[in-house]
Amino acid sequence: MRAFGNRPLIITMAMCVLAFLYLPILVMMLFSFNDSQYTGLPFNGFTLDWYRQVFADTRLLKSIWNSIYVAGGVVMLSVLFGLPAAIALDRYEFPGKGLFRRIVMLPIVLPGIITGIALLGFYLVIHMRLSLYTIMLGQGTALMCITITEVFARLQQLGKSQMEAAVNLGANEWEVFRHVILPAVRSALAGAMLIAFSISFDEIAVTFLLTGRENTLPMTLWSLLRREVTPEVNAVATLVVLMSVILIVVGMYASRGQAATPREN
Amino acid sequence: MTTGIELRKLRKLYEGHGQGAWAVDGVDMTIGAGKFITLLGPSGCGKTTTLRMIAGLEVPTSGQILRDGLDITDQPVTDRDMRMVFQDFALFPNMTVEQNVTFGLRVRRMRGRYSEAEIKKRVFQFLDLVHLADHAHKKPHQLSGGQKQRVSLARALVTDPQVVLFDEPLGSLDANLRKIMQIELIRIHRELGKTFIYVTHDQDEAMAMSNAIAVMRGGKVMQFGSPRDIYDRPANRYVASFIGHAHIVEAKVAGRDGQGLVVSLGNGEKVRLENENSAATGESVGLMLRAEDLAFGEAGPGMVSGNVADSLYRGEYIEYVVELNGGAGVVHVHARTDLPAIDQGAAVAVRVNPHKAHVLAH
Amino acid sequence: MSSIALSAGENAKTIRSARRLDRRRMLFWVVPPVAWFTVFMLIPYAMLLYTSLGRVEDMRFIPGLSLRNFIQVFTVDPYLSVIIKSARIGLMTAVLSAIVAYPLSFFLAFHVRSSRLKFLIYLLVIVPWWASYLVKAYAWKTILGSGGILNALLQKAGLTDEPVRIFLYNEFSVVVTLTYIFTPFAVLSIYAQLERIPTSLIEAARNLGAGGWMIFWRIIAPISVPGVVAGGIITFSLAFGDFVAPVLVGGPDSVMISNIVINLLGVAFDWPMAAAIGLVIITLGLLLISASGWLEEKTQIRF
Repeated sequence: MRAFGNRPLIITMAMCVLAFLYLPILVMMLFSFNDSQYTGLPFNGFTLDWYRQVFADTRLLKSIWNSIYVAGGVVMLSVLFGLPAAIALDRYEFPGKGLFRRIVMLPIVLPGIITGIALLGFYLVIHMRLSLYTIMLGQGTALMCITITEVFARLQQLGKSQMEAAVNLGANEWEVFRHVILPAVRSALAGAMLIAFSISFDEIAVTFLLTGRENTLPMTLWSLLRREVTPEVNAVATLVVLMSVILIVVGMYASRGQAATPREN
Repeated sequence: MTTGIELRKLRKLYEGHGQGAWAVDGVDMTIGAGKFITLLGPSGCGKTTTLRMIAGLEVPTSGQILRDGLDITDQPVTDRDMRMVFQDFALFPNMTVEQNVTFGLRVRRMRGRYSEAEIKKRVFQFLDLVHLADHAHKKPHQLSGGQKQRVSLARALVTDPQVVLFDEPLGSLDANLRKIMQIELIRIHRELGKTFIYVTHDQDEAMAMSNAIAVMRGGKVMQFGSPRDIYDRPANRYVASFIGHAHIVEAKVAGRDGQGLVVSLGNGEKVRLENENSAATGESVGLMLRAEDLAFGEAGPGMVSGNVADSLYRGEYIEYVVELNGGAGVVHVHARTDLPAIDQGAAVAVRVNPHKAHVLAH
Repeated sequence: MSSIALSAGENAKTIRSARRLDRRRMLFWVVPPVAWFTVFMLIPYAMLLYTSLGRVEDMRFIPGLSLRNFIQVFTVDPYLSVIIKSARIGLMTAVLSAIVAYPLSFFLAFHVRSSRLKFLIYLLVIVPWWASYLVKAYAWKTILGSGGILNALLQKAGLTDEPVRIFLYNEFSVVVTLTYIFTPFAVLSIYAQLERIPTSLIEAARNLGAGGWMIFWRIIAPISVPGVVAGGIITFSLAFGDFVAPVLVGGPDSVMISNIVINLLGVAFDWPMAAAIGLVIITLGLLLISASGWLEEKTQIRF
């Protein structure tokens, strides 16, 4: 039996932590229905005005789409370049591997602002106009390490013998990738993609410096908050959370029957 | 032109912590087509590395591997027509038994070689061969260790390779299952006539199955010969003590006697050996005495005398530990269980089978 | 013998070279990511270095080879003190996040048996990410403020008559907010480590007569160290580089290093100084990665 310790106590503590994680979100949801200009007590009564305002605000809606667009691009980039990086780190010895590993990990510990100014300076020199794509490239660089570390860890667990068996049976590189590597890293990759998407969707620091004329959702919210238009902001955030929950429920429903653990042991 | 596999001065350096070490240090060997060859030795003797170099999974540091006279040292694994059965089975966990076995027939290299119907037929033919046709739709995690190993075997055989490589395939199975699988492997080898190259640290397994055994130690081949040669005529003390339960008693060649040799032990007692002519008179040698080649008898000339130090009941026989007189050495003697037991400390005389005792040079 | 050599020579061309093939495969996997990180990290960092050695006069960049900016980082207030303060806030956040995250990770790893429920709770940890960071930070303002929920509760309970003002606009509120925002990272990393612990280890300990606390302190806690460290490094780094919490819930003295860098860019147009600070932080980051690699190597337990 795996469980040990005082179960009621542990469950209570875990629930307290979950409550802590959701308390501000509940506050946010609550005040999105408050009939008042400001987020704060007293609660003046129920209204859906803020939601109406959100749906009327095309700039806000556009920025939600922009965020999804950027996050989608970031996920694509991090798979396209992060997966090969993890495979390279796992399977091959190449000159500069130690440095490469460190460089790849650097964005984890580096403030986004630093990644931002380095790239901003770079864009200015090569005369690249700031746009959603400059954000995508910046976030892609900063968030690629998530895919790399997750997939690399799984590949290390996988060991060599399955790949050796495949090449021994005559499989070429593509077939090894398709039939051995991909099935083994699938869940790790999916998890990393989900996390990268979530972080990108809410990324502020890199975006703050690299954003052009079009804004992502956090940038728009930032400007709304500066003007203290907070109930509308609460309404948007509530909508986004609800949307993500719906997506997750649908996803779980779709993957029903499959082993859907984040980590299979 | 030589058919089969030839290894020439094969060496492999392992970059360990600090300095490198030779995992394989100059292996020369010719493996005839259709033979069952075993590389035998303790862990770290270089047997697995040798096998992996033959498979193409390791790149030799120097030396050559020839296949039917053709240098394949630098040939990609994918192109070598040699299939391997891995110690940890290395089954693809996301595929069923059937899909695992089919894999080697569906890779691009094999495309067009078999029709869909032939693939299906072939896969089930080989699943039948390993008695797993009923488990075709299971996933590897639903199988027992022995079943997994048989899937691994079927997967290797189905592509009709001329050479099958085995890396301690029975290492993780229990003793009874190993015995059954040994018989299976011998049967399959006989039925298919492929070259089997087999790696194990288990000498019984090696003796029972192989046409020839290469005993390895420290990256070198100590002796390469038939099981009978290796057992009866070990090339050196290492092979003699690694194979079977031989005891080596120090002796000196006293002289020749027709086809045989007379050696004298440390206590002056003389033993006559038939068909030995490998040592010169006066030379110091080791006399290899196996328990099953010794028997108790009446004291007299040509007998070796000593005292029983211990006895172990083994079921099939009783094993006596006999200390030879004058500190000449210790031997083990097997005696039938229906003979009267001999007490500890009793003086005994031991007869040496002159055809089986063997001298080992220093 | 000569026929062997001859036939080998004849057929040599038909045999592909494994070494060459392997090299090509390696390049296939290695080149794209290395190229990516060269273009989007190494080159920008090199340019950052170039910038940091120059100076700005009349809002114009003048190239140079001066270490003046680097010396200023360590000698002129407030740079060094703000870096230290950011590190202190980062450290407090990391410690608090680990403390908050541990019970949930523990629960998830040891007390949830159904894999679906596990996945659900795992998702529950991730979902708060989807509520905008800004909105969540703002929600803390609502909770902690003088007219906020916490004060309303305290007043209702009769614990205080006047609104308590020490909850907001100081380092405390910054740390609380940052801890809240970054706790999911700590949960994911601690959980990953705890999940690796084989059940047989716990059963063996119990079989040897160990109680719950004993199992925890002697087995689980030591094994979980690398997960705590890995999570700690992420939460520390994220909190260290944060610039939103100080603006939203911080007080006048809770400026952090990222705020300084933004001001240097946006207000003072002092790119070289910002670049110098950036490079100092990059160096610290590389040291942190090396230290964490070393620490993980030291503390990781292999099963």
